[in-house]
Amino acid sequence: MNIRLLLLLLLAAIPLETMARIKLITLPVRERVEIQLDSAQATLVEEERIVPLIKGVNQVDFSWANTRIDSDSILFRMLPAQSGSEVDAKVLSVSYPPNENALVWSVGADRSGSARVRISYLLGGLDRSFHYRAVATKDESSLRLAQYLRLKNHSNESYAQSRLWVGFGDQLQRPVGLNETKDLLLKHYDQVQVQKRYSVDVNEYGYIQAAKKKLKVPMHYVLKNDAAHGLGQVALPFGKVRIFQQDGKGSTTFVGEDWGRFTPRDDEMELYLGVARDIVVKRTIERRERNKISGNLYDYDVVVKYEVENFKEKPVMLDIREQLPKLRAELGLTNRRDVQWKLGRDTTLPAGPDPEKSDADRLLFHVDLTPQNSSGKVQKQVYKLHLVLQNEWR
Amino acid sequence: MNYPRHIIALLFVLLGCSGIASGNNLDLSTVPDRERVQLTIYNSEDLTLVRETRLVSFKKGMNPLQFSWANTLIDPTSVELEFRGQAGRLEVLDTTFPHAKPQMLYWNVRSEENVEVRIEISYFTSGISWAGDYVAISNPEETTLRMEGFVRVSNRSGEPYANAQVRLVVGKINLVEKIAELARMPVARVQAMEKREYTKLRQKVARKMMAPAVAMEGLVVMDMEESAVPKQVEKEGLGEYFIYTIEGRESIPDGWSKRLRSFDAARVPLKVVYRYRKGEYGDRLVRLYLLQNDKKSGLGITPIPNGKVQIFRHNGREGLSYLASQSIKYVPIGDRIELNLGVDPEVVFELIKERVSRDNIWIRLNKGRVYKRVGDGSFIVDHKGAVAGWDERQQFNQRIRNYTGQKILVEIRRSYPGDVTFRSRLDANSHDYRSVEYTSEVAVGGRVDLRHEVITRSGYNAKQQQVKVVGG
Repeated sequence: MNIRLLLLLLLAAIPLETMARIKLITLPVRERVEIQLDSAQATLVEEERIVPLIKGVNQVDFSWANTRIDSDSILFRMLPAQSGSEVDAKVLSVSYPPNENALVWSVGADRSGSARVRISYLLGGLDRSFHYRAVATKDESSLRLAQYLRLKNHSNESYAQSRLWVGFGDQLQRPVGLNETKDLLLKHYDQVQVQKRYSVDVNEYGYIQAAKKKLKVPMHYVLKNDAAHGLGQVALPFGKVRIFQQDGKGSTTFVGEDWGRFTPRDDEMELYLGVARDIVVKRTIERRERNKISGNLYDYDVVVKYEVENFKEKPVMLDIREQLPKLRAELGLTNRRDVQWKLGRDTTLPAGPDPEKSDADRLLFHVDLTPQNSSGKVQKQVYKLHLVLQNEWR
Repeated sequence: MNYPRHIIALLFVLLGCSGIASGNNLDLSTVPDRERVQLTIYNSEDLTLVRETRLVSFKKGMNPLQFSWANTLIDPTSVELEFRGQAGRLEVLDTTFPHAKPQMLYWNVRSEENVEVRIEISYFTSGISWAGDYVAISNPEETTLRMEGFVRVSNRSGEPYANAQVRLVVGKINLVEKIAELARMPVARVQAMEKREYTKLRQKVARKMMAPAVAMEGLVVMDMEESAVPKQVEKEGLGEYFIYTIEGRESIPDGWSKRLRSFDAARVPLKVVYRYRKGEYGDRLVRLYLLQNDKKSGLGITPIPNGKVQIFRHNGREGLSYLASQSIKYVPIGDRIELNLGVDPEVVFELIKERVSRDNIWIRLNKGRVYKRVGDGSFIVDHKGAVAGWDERQQFNQRIRNYTGQKILVEIRRSYPGDVTFRSRLDANSHDYRSVEYTSEVAVGGRVDLRHEVITRSGYNAKQQQVKVVGG
């Protein structure tokens, strides 16, 4: 134990500099420890100790050799007595000896007795992170999501029984040993509705066969952090998600892992599982017409064509995304102005852009793909996005 | 950890009247003890004015006094000797800085008779500093906070000061030299570099501070036994400065620091505000505690000096949650204190650009060209031209979602370069010629969409460099 609290049995008049000679000390033990992990910036440790005080001035020595305590953060707070025999004690001053990780509190007490104190400090080397384990059902319609806290203790200090709190959920009571890494189950969500999302975005995901203009079609699990989808109680912290799938034979198969970004409530956590090979999307720019308005001012008539084939045996939804400044650059038009656009009448994509996920720079369309028929024949679905890029000039 | 023997020493040298430059190798000396010490510490500079009194017996005639300060950080040009009482009967005839001993001087004092006199020696030293720091703990509901202020005095001067009256000066004084640099030089070099301005300014500044101070003889000396109640730190204004005087006496050994409570305001009213101001807080929405350094808040007795603030919140289970730590700048009485807690992950702040269009486009025409088709002889006149001016209309939605347990107030300030009209149905105002600000409350679990249009006149159309706020 590198962190020590000593009560020095001194006469009040003995000055601090003579302390090294004092051998008679008491060691108030930790009655309770709370480790507050709710801040992403720092870990706050709170130790509760019962300190016997004598009437008058008491010297309480606190030292933290070989640990990374932020000495500016150390607080000494008197707590209300539980037994009712309360000593009125106050910190009079704090002295910091040279070249030592230590301090000495001068504590004045109105009478002799025990005082319940809480010592708080920010401790480096005691770090937390989060990770998840997801087990999807065989039909991938839902999953069981377990959320874990990973605690790495390189602080050079151990805590026998400490209460851990991450800012949400219940407190956990566990010992934290030296140089230990602990994974602690925080919460599990049993019925999380999951959406399999197939999407194409030439700028974000690129091509799987560039020469043939065939796009990469990544597949994501999408977990919406709301009550309707079995979540929504708190924001989901950043962390790695390991994904397994039930194989229908009582076991599970590991199907991939991804970093889950910090997901506020009502937002979606997208987990990349790999590229779907049985959905083929060919994207070509079918039309690029320049229409002069005046001088060097033009409108551009652009049609992007998507030829989609679903070799799966079941229908799926495909998300088609376009980033308009990148599309304009692809057409050979480069300037720093925003893109002014409107949908043209030759658009054949069903419905309009998703209003929640589309804006001035991004368009998202959802397309239902029909599966191959019973004879194995695949229907090629052709969709066109007709855009008029307006008021462009070099 | 005993105090080392005092490094600063005053020796009453028992020599003949021939003075100190006698070349004798054997001197007989007496060492008058320090009676009282007063430290006035200026935190803005590495400067402390030390005044110490000693009782010295003078014989009639010449009395050599030796003052030395080996291994300390005293400015040798600042050492002064004054006599308390016996006015006119004692006189410093000369001061000598021996070449061989750089951290020493001799005074030759002429006394008209045998007399015991209290002398006061004052000098500047570096290596003693003080700093403010603060602990702010809000209640669980974040309606009030307890704010404690502390002063920490650190002694790295090479000299222990026991039983000293400690005074701390809040404010920035003007100095023309750094004491620590002077202390390491032989006095001859220091004197060679001295300028009239140097002496005038520095001595004037710090000694003037001392002028209205309570005379040390008038101080109530505390018992050596430490009191069981916290010491008070008295504050008094002095011109552009404030002086904190720590009650009673303090002993600060060399190398040690001591921290004392300066104030304790138990229930400071607190306002929680979320702000977006890119220039002040970066490109993010931050959460702030706002409080006031005034008497209504239990503060406002003095300005609050620069210092680090550790900010916590009671978690309702006798424990604390760490929120942030930050440095605050000097806060005058009555001014607002801002504690920046950073981004709140429970509040989602998104600026969505919904639509862009351009209109009011002007073309600058150049000389036209005429083309004739071979065959039918038809003509086309093509006027060459380039876009010279246009208006760009950007429609934005400032969306805010509140997942905290309380209704929140959000203040947004954005700057727009160029000739801009800001059009919205928000209650928006100009902050300055290029910034617009507006506020919104967001209910618990609520979402607001603050839609507005920014019209930027560019090129030939730009006639101003300011933003105009209009409704609609």
